[in-house]
Amino acid sequence: MSDPQPKKTTGRVSAFRIAQVIISILFLTFLTWRLYNVITSGVYGPDTWVRFAISGLIIGSVYAVIAIGYTLVYGILFMINFAHGEIMMLGAFSGYFVFEALNLIVADPVTGMSFLDKYWIISVVLAFIVGMFIAAVSGYFLERIAYRPLRGAPRLIPLISAIGASIFLQNAAQVMFGPKRRVYFNPASLTRSQGWRIPIGSEEVIVTYTGVLTIVLSILLMVGLYTLVMRTRYGRSMRAVAENKQTAALMGINVDRIISNTFIISGALGGAAGVMWGIHNGIIYHFVGFIPGLKAFTAAVLGGIGNIPGAMVGGIVLGVVESLGPAALGLDFQLKDVIAFSILVLILIFRPSGIVGEVLSEEKV
Amino acid sequence: MKDLIKQGNRSGLIIGVVLVFLILFGLTITLSEIVGDFLNLSSNTRTGNTAGLMVFFILLALWSGTRVSDNQKSNLKNSLVFGLSSGLVTGLIVSAFILLIGSLDAADVEMRDYLVQLNKPAIQFLLYGWSLIPGILFTFGTFLVFGTLGGFLTNFLVTRKIGDLIQKRFLKLKAKALDAKIVRSYQENPRSRWIGYGILMAIVFITPQFLGKYWNYAMGTVGIYVLMGLGLNIVVGLAGLLDLGYVAFFAIGAYTAGLLTAPAPIALQIGFWPVLILSVVFAAFAGILLGIPVLRMRGDYLAIVTLGFGEIIRVLIRSDMMTPYLGGPQGVRDIAGPSIFGLSLTSEKSYLYLIILGILLTILFTIYLQNSRIGRAWMAMREDETVAQAMGINTLYYKLLAFATGAGFAGIGGALFASRNQYTGPDDHTLMVSINVLCLLIVGGMGSIPGVIVGAFVLKGLPEILRELDLYRLLVFGALLVIMMIIRPEGIWPAPRRKMELHEDEPDIGHLIEGLEGNEG
Repeated sequence: MSDPQPKKTTGRVSAFRIAQVIISILFLTFLTWRLYNVITSGVYGPDTWVRFAISGLIIGSVYAVIAIGYTLVYGILFMINFAHGEIMMLGAFSGYFVFEALNLIVADPVTGMSFLDKYWIISVVLAFIVGMFIAAVSGYFLERIAYRPLRGAPRLIPLISAIGASIFLQNAAQVMFGPKRRVYFNPASLTRSQGWRIPIGSEEVIVTYTGVLTIVLSILLMVGLYTLVMRTRYGRSMRAVAENKQTAALMGINVDRIISNTFIISGALGGAAGVMWGIHNGIIYHFVGFIPGLKAFTAAVLGGIGNIPGAMVGGIVLGVVESLGPAALGLDFQLKDVIAFSILVLILIFRPSGIVGEVLSEEKV
Repeated sequence: MKDLIKQGNRSGLIIGVVLVFLILFGLTITLSEIVGDFLNLSSNTRTGNTAGLMVFFILLALWSGTRVSDNQKSNLKNSLVFGLSSGLVTGLIVSAFILLIGSLDAADVEMRDYLVQLNKPAIQFLLYGWSLIPGILFTFGTFLVFGTLGGFLTNFLVTRKIGDLIQKRFLKLKAKALDAKIVRSYQENPRSRWIGYGILMAIVFITPQFLGKYWNYAMGTVGIYVLMGLGLNIVVGLAGLLDLGYVAFFAIGAYTAGLLTAPAPIALQIGFWPVLILSVVFAAFAGILLGIPVLRMRGDYLAIVTLGFGEIIRVLIRSDMMTPYLGGPQGVRDIAGPSIFGLSLTSEKSYLYLIILGILLTILFTIYLQNSRIGRAWMAMREDETVAQAMGINTLYYKLLAFATGAGFAGIGGALFASRNQYTGPDDHTLMVSINVLCLLIVGGMGSIPGVIVGAFVLKGLPEILRELDLYRLLVFGALLVIMMIIRPEGIWPAPRRKMELHEDEPDIGHLIEGLEGNEG
């Protein structure tokens, strides 16, 4: 829109700048003071900090996978795909239905064991495949119906259309699946309480299998995506479209197809994140995608939007800070959302291009 | 020929999938009831009107047959093939779906545990109360036969031509009406325009006398949304700053009114009128505080940050930490209402008058701002910030001004809302409020005062009338927003300038749509 940092010449503007700096210094002093107090008071032992850090890593890796979906779309179309959280929710529901259906099939007539419990690896893989597929299809149709007719319109218009799509999907899910919260029925060998026990000091910290599964899978997905975008011919054409659509078209790239595929890829990632969320957190309902979606966008901005490694770093940083933050500042745990959004505001004030840096073509910004 | 079949299959596929989703949403029941009531049909199940469902399917099939592209319409064979292939695919999809859920139901799987709309009576209803096979065969047959019939009919009913004729007539009538003496004198003579406004005013002030308690309350809600819409109109419509956390200022207004007048949790109990002013001041101040750090950001970052701010306020209100000061999840009760000379004004009717008065003042204020130097600066900023800056406009100052003014209006809205309900709690201040206000602005027409009023009536008033569709309200809402952005982004009653902007490159848009249709075909 405007040039990145216009030179400030008038006195009034610099007065604002000074006020900004003073307020932020006061704020940071306050934060350091709280942190010092909490650490010296010793309310939390080392095991608690480790527990927080682990849960932060797990949730952060889910955020990272969702954030990549935002970053991909933002890098190419310069729009916030507001409905991405809802795509994630659809993925979570698909995985849930796969688990429920497999649980109905009896695989071992002798013990009455269900397919889900007996072949749990196949079941989990199946849930991920179905969840990613459904989410990818939804992503494709989302772009086709709600965004493609608006290409080239003023920036506000696709954003509003995206908000509309988000409301529609949320309520469609509510009408279809009902408003009640559902519990993800995990296979018996993957229940949410089991895990490796790691002794720290005199206490034990449990690293759940679901958490490890989440982290490993998200790393695999991120590496795979990074390779796809950076190393393959297809990824090169994606980057070309992000750089300049017209020139890319002149080079023989089918821009529409690239955009469609971007939505398919980002949808599939969202779906995978949804299934991970379901398996690890256990509770899903029609509104489940909204807050993670918002946080993942925060993560994408935190790392530098348009930048894939940035989204990963941003997601994990956000997850860890959000989970350590309330304890570190001696606040209520209800306030972790406040911390997440405050980080967003602070990052946008002090370093609008994010931790790793934005990768956007100059002319569009 | 092959192309034609492909086209038909595609069209049938879309209709079939949409219909499956209608069934999953449970909308077929509602729709069949509407059709049944309209045609006065009787039904043989209690869930919905089966005869209505049949008619609905028949109409859908007929319409699907007529969707053949224009250049094929004149050819009997082509349109028949199209109708047949379209109906066949739709019929296959729908009947396969009903077969699936019907047989699952027959196998005693509780479908409603997973898909709440598909309970036993609903499945029975989809089979017209018959057993599985005849029901499915009937549905399949309906789509096949009437799809073909629809294709066949396109040869005779030249629907396009009739449509054109009606449109021409309408345009002629409109031109004639605009040419009529009264209308012309109204348009040319400013005095008669004032008379028009006067009549409108009189209607607005008399109507609450004839409305019942319920409607006065409902209209009051619409009025509060008009107020907030006018405020957001300044921020988004005039200054072009997308604010998704507007509810934060609404909440600040509501809580100022609540905390300062209610007996608990802070027993200050100041009267209503000074508090109304205070809530505006506080909200505007919050607007400035939020604005200083964030207004430098790019448009869509601003949207996300304001959204985050709205969430922060809501979470803070709800949190245990603030409960002693803000009342926590229980909210604030017994908020005082206004009174004049000891006369209490807490009935629904007097609130409605108060709100109308507030709206009038706001409208006058907005018009004044719009036509002043400030308003022009805002619009210049909205069009191109860099150029505006080059023209010597201090953009940050004007952005802050817009933010604070908008926040102040939200503050009034919040204070009136809280004192009318005598209660305010965290659930009054969800993100949906921000989105509702933004939507009414967009549906009505951004930057246009009559647009805001029309938008508020459409979005807040219509659902009051369509109570039975309450479940689907937000669903329709979301779809409406998307459709609106595609077919009429300038809104129902657009500001003339904005309409011009959006249709600047009309031929290009037309070209785009043509390209799209070509892709689909």
